[in-house]
Amino acid sequence: MADREVALLANYLIVGAMLFALGAIGFLSRRNLILMFLCAEMMLQGVSLSLVAFGRFHNDWGGQVLVLLVITVAACEAAIALALIMVLFQRRGTLDVIAWQELREADQPPYVEDQPFEEPEPAAPEWPQLPLAGLRPEIPSEQTDYRPHV
Amino acid sequence: MIDAGRMMILLGAMLAGVGLWGVLPGATVRSRLLGAVLAAAGLGLVAAQLPWVGGWVDQSLFTLLAFVAVGSAAAAISLRNPVYAAIWFGMSLVATAGLLLFQGAQFLAVATIIVYAGAILVTFLFVLMLAEPSGRAPYDRQAWEGLVSALSGAFLVGILSLTVARALADPAEVVSPVPVPVTDQDRQAGILAEDHVRRIGQVLFDLPGPAGPNRAPKPGYLIAVEAAGVLLLAALVGAAAIAGRARTPQPDPAPKPHPTHSAGGPRHG
Amino acid sequence: MFEIESLLVLIPALPLAATLVTAALGKPVLRHRSHVPLVAALSAAVVASLALLVAVHREAGHAGEQDGAVGFERIVPLWTWADVLNAQPEGAKGGTGRFHVEVVLRADPLTAVMLVVVTAVSLLVAVYSIGYMHDDPGYWRFFTYIGLFVFSMIMLVSVSNFALLYVFWEAVGLCSYLLIGFWFQKPEAAAAGKKAFLVNRVGDFGFALGIFLIWTTYGTLNFHDTAASGGGLAFGVLGRSALADPTWLVGGGTATAICLLLMLGACGKSAQLPLHVWLPDAMEGPTPVSALIHAATMVTAGVYMVARCAPLFAKSPQAQEVVAVIGGATALMAALIAVTQTDLKRILAYSTISQLGTMFLAMGAGTLLGVTAGMFHLVTHAFFKGLLFLAAGSVMHAMAGVIDVRKFGGLRRVLPVTHATFLVGALGLAGVVPLAGFWSKDAVLAAVWQRGSAGYLVLYVLALLTALLTAFYTFRAFFLTFYGPKRLPEETGGHTHESPRVMTVPMIVLAGATIVAGMALEWGRWLEHFLAKTPSIAYLESASHAPEVATGSKWTIAALGTLAAAAGIGLAWYLYLAAPGVLRRLTKRMQDLGLYGVSLGKFFVDEFYAWLIVRPLEALARLSAWLDSAAIDGLVNLVGWLPKGAGATLRWLQGGLIPLYAALMVLGLLVLLGALLI
Repeated sequence: MADREVALLANYLIVGAMLFALGAIGFLSRRNLILMFLCAEMMLQGVSLSLVAFGRFHNDWGGQVLVLLVITVAACEAAIALALIMVLFQRRGTLDVIAWQELREADQPPYVEDQPFEEPEPAAPEWPQLPLAGLRPEIPSEQTDYRPHV
Repeated sequence: MIDAGRMMILLGAMLAGVGLWGVLPGATVRSRLLGAVLAAAGLGLVAAQLPWVGGWVDQSLFTLLAFVAVGSAAAAISLRNPVYAAIWFGMSLVATAGLLLFQGAQFLAVATIIVYAGAILVTFLFVLMLAEPSGRAPYDRQAWEGLVSALSGAFLVGILSLTVARALADPAEVVSPVPVPVTDQDRQAGILAEDHVRRIGQVLFDLPGPAGPNRAPKPGYLIAVEAAGVLLLAALVGAAAIAGRARTPQPDPAPKPHPTHSAGGPRHG
Repeated sequence: MFEIESLLVLIPALPLAATLVTAALGKPVLRHRSHVPLVAALSAAVVASLALLVAVHREAGHAGEQDGAVGFERIVPLWTWADVLNAQPEGAKGGTGRFHVEVVLRADPLTAVMLVVVTAVSLLVAVYSIGYMHDDPGYWRFFTYIGLFVFSMIMLVSVSNFALLYVFWEAVGLCSYLLIGFWFQKPEAAAAGKKAFLVNRVGDFGFALGIFLIWTTYGTLNFHDTAASGGGLAFGVLGRSALADPTWLVGGGTATAICLLLMLGACGKSAQLPLHVWLPDAMEGPTPVSALIHAATMVTAGVYMVARCAPLFAKSPQAQEVVAVIGGATALMAALIAVTQTDLKRILAYSTISQLGTMFLAMGAGTLLGVTAGMFHLVTHAFFKGLLFLAAGSVMHAMAGVIDVRKFGGLRRVLPVTHATFLVGALGLAGVVPLAGFWSKDAVLAAVWQRGSAGYLVLYVLALLTALLTAFYTFRAFFLTFYGPKRLPEETGGHTHESPRVMTVPMIVLAGATIVAGMALEWGRWLEHFLAKTPSIAYLESASHAPEVATGSKWTIAALGTLAAAAGIGLAWYLYLAAPGVLRRLTKRMQDLGLYGVSLGKFFVDEFYAWLIVRPLEALARLSAWLDSAAIDGLVNLVGWLPKGAGATLRWLQGGLIPLYAALMVLGLLVLLGALLI
């Protein structure tokens, strides 16, 4: 029994660590403000798994209670953060985090990225052009004098 | 000091790092499929070093849930369309709830679904829709310093896994767990009680008590709950204040409008 | 009032008081009366010196040899300057175990004679300066410096230990620097003052090393014996009882080293080869300064010092030979240079160098006769050379500052008194009987002859040649200045006049001294016997047993000397007055031979020093300047740049990029985890 508990703990810790690491990767590499926040929430999920695992291991209610509080705080944080992101979006018209560089030193040049990768717009599908109804169609001259198949 | 298991963990972490780098959205053409395979292989290698959580039924259930959770999380961070990414995050939440249920934390599992997936995630999606309906922004197409991030994440996983492996290898490092209650009486009192929800409710709204001659100290988290309530109120007021101001358009001191949708062409449905 | 002790203290105190008064009140109060304190003090000092001379003569006659000690001296300690216990150097012969330096004055025949000379010539020069420096804006400064100099020179000849001798040695050097550069706005004068000081410094370095060696050898720096604790006598280096003890003085290599180092100091102060280069340049100072310092008193300090340390030299015949050779060579070289010079004061400067060389030649003979002859020549030289300089100053004063003999001529009717006194001085310098120069030069030549060895005979011949040249160039200058067609330089504006009485009276007094003093001092060989009562010189009487000069030899020496002088005068008269054509052809011949150029170029010693010493030092200075600006400044700049560089390197971290900040946080977290968990 004790071995099972230890194995359970170990597995959950690893899964929680993976979730946390994925959240960290996403937070560091994505540039969309909302997605960055999403990854922060992912990190909190990983932590929650670890907390619950430890709570069960030690037969302590504190783990689950803390996770409940974590969820509460995550909710508050989401509300405020999204409100702020709305305001920021209205200021700059973009959700790019790199657009906000006012925290830099006074004599530092702003970070300007090289040509952003633009996926080429898929070409607008070519809709067939129908001529106006009712009019005799213009037949090109080369089609008027055709030889019937002999 | 490095035995086969730890070597596997290190190797798996490195593979996962490289694979995740491939998976992230980037300017250069890279194979996301290959990245995904590598990442899965790496993480799988790490997970394979762990002991089984029980019989093969338990283990396969756990593996499925864990795989879904981690896989959807990986998808959430690597998709270019933010709406898709958020939805995959929702999938990850569902799997996480399953994992919590597996642990015996029923209330928490449901709370996760309701609060996280149901409220927070939905709010995310609302704001995303409001901000960029087309989902074709260039800053979504390109990760910033992808390699560094992937390697840091891999390093993190590697470190933590190595720690767990070391703890597993050395029995003295592992604190002996409190035995899972076997008798009904134990069950009633412990964390795996059958009326788990009633139990957790009692624990939440109880004041903490001292230890008795025959029992452990009584847990009670009333103060924390009340504090959480106050925090919620503050967040509510704050969000209303900030967002309320956002509704009235302000004159931009340094307007730098960034095109949020591509020019020309009919809009996609 | 007339005891030796009070006189000894009074003689330096009077000029010192006058100096302080002139320094304090000269500019605001006294102004054109700034000479009054000094002249009054010097008059009193002359009287006191004469009284001291009389007193010492009387006491020395009484003292005799009653206590087995050598010579006569009277010591007057004033206060203790330094006293360090347990300072006995290892291997020292004597001493009290303490480094004990007192301010202590001594009265003995040598000191008394020097005091009379110094105070008398100083008084005459001070009176002369009233007229010469009459309208100079630095009038009060001049008399302050002169007073300071006289005080230093008096103390130099009066003190009774080596430490204080060195102090006042330096003090007279300082006064010389101040007075040479008196007109400091003139760059040549300032440079000449600096040159004098620096060259003196080289000599003083040797002198200091000599004093150190004396301390380690003898354990004491006093001249005189002092009472030791626990009874008995702590010997001084040249003390009366010390010199009576045959084992006291150290001989061999140590003695030679001490004497050569002391000689180096004397070369610096008395302008001998190779440190003679400063004296001709020192003529940039006012003429009274040249007369006082660079003819009569300061440059004789070296001769005085060698005379005082005669016992030390007696223990090292090699050092004596070196002294004699230096003296003889310098005398001849300077005489050769003076033959072609055109600046009247420079001629007299080289003449001074030459005569000082003669004095050292006499000292180098090392016998009683030699040392006393050198001192005799010192006294007579002070008179006639001082007179010549004052006369030259009178000419310069009348010629409105021009002193180039090619620019004026035939002045004997314009400046009659100057002409007469110059003639007396020239005759004295040439050594014509019965003037003073004849008797003293004769004594010098006799002393050199008396030594008898081959080297000294060569020196004797060279000294005779020098005497001939001396007479020649002196009268060359005389004839060029006062004879021939009358010419005045245009700076005078066509009219000129004799100097005022305040300037001519000292000249006349010195002329009288030149005529009389020789015979007076030689009467019954009075000076020789008087000086022989000095402990240092009395030692020579017993130490060196040179045979008495035979009377026949004496007449021969006198005749040869007179012949040399007459030949020189005759040659000068012939070339410059009687047959100028011969002079032109001879000059042309000498120029073709290159000898003329060598003589005019002062044997190129200055140029050699410039090449040897000055140019490497300048190169070193340039190198140091470059090092300072490039290396050291560069280092400081580097230290200043480092924070800026470090800041610039790290500044990009504050780019304002939020993902960057997040990445750094994660990096920190990873480092922490790695440190804790690995």
